[in-house]
Amino acid sequence: MNNLNDNFPSDYVDLTDKIDQTKQGNDFYNPNVLINLGPSHPAMHGTLRVMCRVNGETIEDAKCEIGYLHRAIEKLGEVKTYHQWIVYTDRLNYCSALNNNVAYVMAVENVMNITVTERCMWIRVICMELARIIDHIICVAINALDMGAMTVFWLFYHWREEAYTMIESMCGMRLTTSYARIGGMMYDFPDDLIPRLKKFVENFPKAIDEIEGLLTSNRIWIDRTKGVGKLSAAEAIKYGLTGPCLRASGVNVDLRRDRPYYTYSELDFDVVVASGGDVYDRYLVRMEEIRQSVRILKQCILRLPNGPLWVDDKRVRIPDKIDVYTKMEVLIHHFKIFMEGINVPPGEAYTCVEGPNGELGFYIVSRGGPKAWRMRVKSPSFMLFQHFEKSILKEKIPDAVSILGSVNVIAGELDR
Amino acid sequence: MVKEIQNKANEILQNTFASERKFSLDKVGEPILWANGPKDALHLIKKFQDHIDLKIDFLSDLTAYDNTDKKDGEGRFVVVIQLLSMQTFIRIRLKVLLKANEEMETLTNIWPAANWLEREVFDMYGIIFAGHPNLKRILMDERFHGHPLRKEYPYKQREPFSDNTKINLSNSTRGSSSHE
Repeated sequence: MNNLNDNFPSDYVDLTDKIDQTKQGNDFYNPNVLINLGPSHPAMHGTLRVMCRVNGETIEDAKCEIGYLHRAIEKLGEVKTYHQWIVYTDRLNYCSALNNNVAYVMAVENVMNITVTERCMWIRVICMELARIIDHIICVAINALDMGAMTVFWLFYHWREEAYTMIESMCGMRLTTSYARIGGMMYDFPDDLIPRLKKFVENFPKAIDEIEGLLTSNRIWIDRTKGVGKLSAAEAIKYGLTGPCLRASGVNVDLRRDRPYYTYSELDFDVVVASGGDVYDRYLVRMEEIRQSVRILKQCILRLPNGPLWVDDKRVRIPDKIDVYTKMEVLIHHFKIFMEGINVPPGEAYTCVEGPNGELGFYIVSRGGPKAWRMRVKSPSFMLFQHFEKSILKEKIPDAVSILGSVNVIAGELDR
Repeated sequence: MVKEIQNKANEILQNTFASERKFSLDKVGEPILWANGPKDALHLIKKFQDHIDLKIDFLSDLTAYDNTDKKDGEGRFVVVIQLLSMQTFIRIRLKVLLKANEEMETLTNIWPAANWLEREVFDMYGIIFAGHPNLKRILMDERFHGHPLRKEYPYKQREPFSDNTKINLSNSTRGSSSHE
């Protein structure tokens, strides 16, 4: 026995006798039960893993483990050409792929000092706002679904499908869009898109009203969400949170207004701020942001200008297919862009947009040539999930599920 | 308007901090300031926080890149700290050049947000952050060898784990379980 004790620290107390007494039968009163949620658990969105120590139903200690969806996207950014890497941006936050596409090509354009055309800017703003609507729909609907409200999910997903059908008509893909190109877009909008978008912005707000009627003053919803996962403004800033979660805590920050890019400075919209920082406030912020996005879309429809889609820059302009098939010089140019890649001059830039979950940034260091020297993705989910393990302490397990739904951590963006 | 505030901040940086440090602007006019070593980086961040016009209070991102081609000077890695102010909305990029085995100072005492970011930099580049509370791999497996974002790491290298490899969980388990 003495030999065994040598392995333990001096203050270690041998409790063997006591444990044996309580282990008559099963130990139902153990205050230190370890529970493992995920990485493959229906309540954990994607491959997230949380290890909890629970006392009864209260989480007393929690740790997150990530990396289950790590696909070396940053390393691939140094191996693939700038053009080839566009498809990898779809796989970051796959709920709002359009937003990632646009943010990425904007980053490359910034390193190359390219300003895209007016029409291209407006198209990109429409894309980003549509992506924001879809992402918020998913967040609210799944959050409600996790707490047992199935109807919200069905009502909302009808409109998500509608939005995805519009996206499909833009670029031929529903989920992994790859719509943006360096210096322009893959295609221009199809002719029927604007009438469809008009119908969408007319009818969709009715669905928002309906869902707010189901949830906002619903006693069960309020009991499950109010005061759960409370987060103060100072703590949110210290932990680097961005986006709706930061605004729900009362910090009045929105990069669309505070560091405007594209045409956001000309658009009329409100930054939604709540004060409580709990799950309920995050829900309210997201619902109001959907309305504001609809408001932006309405203005975009009215103001979308005609004109060229592509920037007139030989370095990046992908030639039209009809010219590729008929003119030799254009064919050579086309070949050079796709086989060699776009030559980006040495330099660096950090470009970020207000994504649906917060600040999505691309930091590109170029040493010249068609491939990046360093391709860094600053993902909002990384910070949100880092704080998650703090925010569930002293909460119940079902509350942890509702907090996770409200921060909307996307595994693809988290692990990259 | 943001452009003007940013330009003013750039001027402040150039006049106040750039006398014995490298200073430049990037492609979008945001400032890059090179700290003279890890200690100086912490010192600069404190200065930025207290500065009346800069009011830096937010850690946007912390990352690194490999400097094997020595284009940024004699040093193996460059640690990049992206700072933002939530009041004035200016950005400052702070860079620290590290030698091959030099340690970086942790920022977790200033922003807890730096915790996972520093773990990721350690995971991907092997840079040690002195004073970090829990410096271990985050995206890669505990059993993984090497640091994948270093330029010498081949991108097609495979590292399969046999099911029999023991995972060292001594740091990650807590409470009673470690005494079992």
